[in-house]
Amino acid sequence: MEVTMDPLFLAWSYFRRRKFQQCSDICSKILQDSPYDQAAWSLKTRALTEMVYIDEIEVDQEGIAEMMLDESSIAQVARPGTSLRLPGTSQGGGPTQAVRPMTQSGRPITGFVRPSTQSGRPGTMEQAIKTPRTASTARPVTSASGRFIRLGTASMLTNPDGPFINLSRLNLAKYSQKPDLSRTLFEFIFHHENDVKNVSVNVDYYSCNTNFIFLVQALDLAAQATEHAQFKDWWWKVQLGKCYYRLGLYREAEKQFRSALNHQEVVDTYLYLAKVYQRLDQPITALNLFKQGLDHFPGEVTLLTGIARIHEEMNNIPSATEYYKDVLKQDNTHVEAIACIGSNHFYTDQPEIALRFYRRLLQMGVYNCQLYNNLGLCCFYAQQYDMTLSSFERALALVANDEELSDVWYNIGHVAVGIGDLTLAYQCFKLALAFNNDHAEAYNNLAVLELRKGRIEQSKAFLQTAASLAPHMYEPHFNLSILSEKIGDLQSSYTAAQKSEDTFPEHVDTQQLLKQLRQHFAVL
Amino acid sequence: MSPVESGGDGGKWLDAHYDPVAGLYTFSSCVDLADLSGDGESRLVVGDLGSGSSGMKLKVYRGTALMSESTLLDLPAGLVAFFMDLHEPRIPAVAVASGPCIYVYKNLRPYFKFTLPSLEVNTLEQDVWQQVREGQIDPLTMKEMLESIRKKADVPLSVRSLRFLSLETEDMDEFVQLHKQQPIRRQTVITCIGTLKKSTADEDGVSCLVIGTESSDVYVLDPEAFIILSKMSLPAAPTMMDVTGQFDVEFRITVACRNGNIYILRRESDKPKYCIELPSHPVGLVRVGKNVVVGCTNESLQGFTQKGKKLWKAVLAAPITTMASMDLPTRGFQAVMVGLANCEVQLYRDKNLLSRIKTPDVVTSICFGRYGREDGTLIMTTKGGGLMVKILKRTAAFDDRDSAPGPPLAQSVRLNVPKKTKLYVDQTLRERENGLAMHRAFQMDLSRLRLAAAKAYVKALESSLTPMSSSLTEPLKMNAVVQGLGPSFKLTLNVQNTAACRPVMNLAISFLYDESLYRMRNPYMRIPLLVPGLIYPVETFVECTSDKGISDIIKVFVLHEGRSSPLLTAHINMPVSEGLTLN
Repeated sequence: MEVTMDPLFLAWSYFRRRKFQQCSDICSKILQDSPYDQAAWSLKTRALTEMVYIDEIEVDQEGIAEMMLDESSIAQVARPGTSLRLPGTSQGGGPTQAVRPMTQSGRPITGFVRPSTQSGRPGTMEQAIKTPRTASTARPVTSASGRFIRLGTASMLTNPDGPFINLSRLNLAKYSQKPDLSRTLFEFIFHHENDVKNVSVNVDYYSCNTNFIFLVQALDLAAQATEHAQFKDWWWKVQLGKCYYRLGLYREAEKQFRSALNHQEVVDTYLYLAKVYQRLDQPITALNLFKQGLDHFPGEVTLLTGIARIHEEMNNIPSATEYYKDVLKQDNTHVEAIACIGSNHFYTDQPEIALRFYRRLLQMGVYNCQLYNNLGLCCFYAQQYDMTLSSFERALALVANDEELSDVWYNIGHVAVGIGDLTLAYQCFKLALAFNNDHAEAYNNLAVLELRKGRIEQSKAFLQTAASLAPHMYEPHFNLSILSEKIGDLQSSYTAAQKSEDTFPEHVDTQQLLKQLRQHFAVL
Repeated sequence: MSPVESGGDGGKWLDAHYDPVAGLYTFSSCVDLADLSGDGESRLVVGDLGSGSSGMKLKVYRGTALMSESTLLDLPAGLVAFFMDLHEPRIPAVAVASGPCIYVYKNLRPYFKFTLPSLEVNTLEQDVWQQVREGQIDPLTMKEMLESIRKKADVPLSVRSLRFLSLETEDMDEFVQLHKQQPIRRQTVITCIGTLKKSTADEDGVSCLVIGTESSDVYVLDPEAFIILSKMSLPAAPTMMDVTGQFDVEFRITVACRNGNIYILRRESDKPKYCIELPSHPVGLVRVGKNVVVGCTNESLQGFTQKGKKLWKAVLAAPITTMASMDLPTRGFQAVMVGLANCEVQLYRDKNLLSRIKTPDVVTSICFGRYGREDGTLIMTTKGGGLMVKILKRTAAFDDRDSAPGPPLAQSVRLNVPKKTKLYVDQTLRERENGLAMHRAFQMDLSRLRLAAAKAYVKALESSLTPMSSSLTEPLKMNAVVQGLGPSFKLTLNVQNTAACRPVMNLAISFLYDESLYRMRNPYMRIPLLVPGLIYPVETFVECTSDKGISDIIKVFVLHEGRSSPLLTAHINMPVSEGLTLN
């Protein structure tokens, strides 16, 4: 005789084992029999939420609209060192652009790709809407809604029979009275019902931006629940703040988070509040907040990482490295910290130490193309030649997409240039371009090789392409300037040198070239 | 005027007046200070260049206000105030040089117009026009004849003939009909003007006008009768001049010429006596005492003696925009003011920098002298048309210190050389011990990698994967740009022919894409003839038909007519469509 387990308990067990689909199925069955079973309803809500849950603290992608049409920042022209907006020159003596390459936004390349590391703030609309904004690169998306569309699509796939809860018919006031149900319901609305298309039939008036409706509903629920808790529940205040944040009402969000912090010190709240300050372009305030948080939670890794990230974004690489080291003291398996310190050592002419850090990552089980690529480069520059090329071979074998393949070939090309095998280098750079047509660095290097072969027209064309693909790089402009100077076209040389100076004002060679050209122009 | 203490220049100057929108566009040669009404109060006389094509005016300022303004017919090349007679009260006249004429104003009313004598006309040219007048030749023949004259003759063509040569064929007839009756004249224009005391060195003595012309001549004019007293010729057209001495006794005319040389003319000879060859073009010429200070385009200031011996050279921080002398006879102080392109006016005595004045805009003209009743007044106009008046404080003292440089600053800056770590030393040890094995491993890997690279390269070449084609007949290059937020994207393909001199023809572009995801407006396009070196943008529109927030690659092929394999291929990673189609 078979003893059946209580279905609700089974569902609960599935939920704890993170088998959300099964959990949801069983709950659906229970609800079919007894539609007013609150426990099953609550569990299903949680299961559905967990399926599409993302950590709100980490993911922060700034869309084009938020970047270009930003009204919340206080100063349009901020003083250097107080804003994330103008990267400016490196503070605290980090390596210059000549040693450590820059991203499009004028910040040094980091060791760890996060949503905000590559994007930065583009200078112009033109730059913002140009190509490399693909699904695989972390460059800016149009607006935050873009991400939520994708998430919403995912949530639609989880329940193909239509929405589980018909939000427009919900009596929020009733639910807000029940503290057990209201929290799960809120999370469900906030995380799961990001979807735009699912409900556009029901809502006729706001059809242009329906996911706002849900946010507003979430907000309503949170507001009513807070009221019910006599404004004393920190959790509801944090949720209220999250809603405001997503709606772009940063000042209101700040108020809620601050108030929540007064009730209860929680690390999450600090992180949310810091996120608000970063969005408001007040990195110094965010730093102070993190430090304040560290007083209450000494050695908290997320807070330390937050500080390090802000320092890194403000081009203060040495302090960022210090904080990453602190992170490692607390958590010696923190991938981001290891990668960032490693890349910093690599670019400060200590590849042998960088090699150690990357090896540590390998020991920890990170096994991907990028890591082997970095290992290969570190081995080469640390003169451990026997391991260089095998690392690259492995990187080639582990490649997941064309862009990675292109990067690996590009780096092999670098090694080939280093050992003087220009034929191999030429082939490698061409391969890099074949797999990624927008690889500006490869175009630039190829142009130099073409110039060595004496093919000036080709070289010029490549340099022009490189310059148009990557306006943040000074190298194509500088190379074009040298090329033009050599063939006697001083005027183009001068204009190119000026562009190079714009992107990298401290570049000594550009300065010397400009000086030389000015002398040329002045001489009779 | 309400003088205000000004900062930044050591408190030597009082800011008397600054009007950033005075609308004065002029250069130092067109600014002078003179007591125009004989009441002991100096006025500022400015030849305003207006917009360069219209609005040329003679403006007179008194204090901070514009006192009078009269229209000039042509662009002023120079302006001087001078005494032309001995009448009392002593009121100077103003001479404005523009075009081939000098307009003399007295009491701010037009008084006299002097026109330069016309130059000798080429007889051959005269003959040609004569023949046209008689109807013997048609305009086309005339054009040929004039062109041959222009190439060979010593005497250059007249302006009329040059204008004729520049005309289109259809306009020639009309032009000839209009002008053939008038006789040909060849006129030169004035490039610079100066004054030279006639017989006495007094402050209010009668002065001659000295003018330099485009035809490389220097004329000295009698101030009363306006006849040419003396004519001297130069090897090149003069651009700036400085005159000292008296005409009847002894004088020196220092002329900077367009060929980059400075010539010094003296009383006895009609040819230059000394010549200074400069390393680059002069932009300012000022005499201080017996020396000449020249500012050059190579951002330097150089001092020469009267006989053309180089004394010193100072390197400046920025290009020079204008120069003027600062002469304060009551204190026996003489210096040179140099306006720089970095919004600064620097004061030099010999090669030593005495003081610097920061200005809100680039200064284009400087004039120092008596203005109103104040002896030491500095008047500057800016590039944006502003007028600035500063007064030298009576207590101001310029100390002359020789800024002899010590060792350069860079010498004491420590370089941030990272220390070699112990790890590095260990690794070098490993390298030393296992050198042979490491080398072998590396060489083997290298051969393998070369093979792998060559294989991949051949594959890429065979399928024309690269965005540039290296074939000798059609060296092409392409890169693609996607713009837009979706669902509609604009796809721009920049195609460039990288050959040295051969055009490429018969090309077409086609696309390969997932038809369930994208819709393309023109999936097949023909490329026009590609001229080498130019970038041809080829545009089309792509519409994303999916609303799932996914993206795909679109492949672009450049094809040659009659060949099955593509010349080159580009892969475009399409961005995720963010917009939603309204339905």
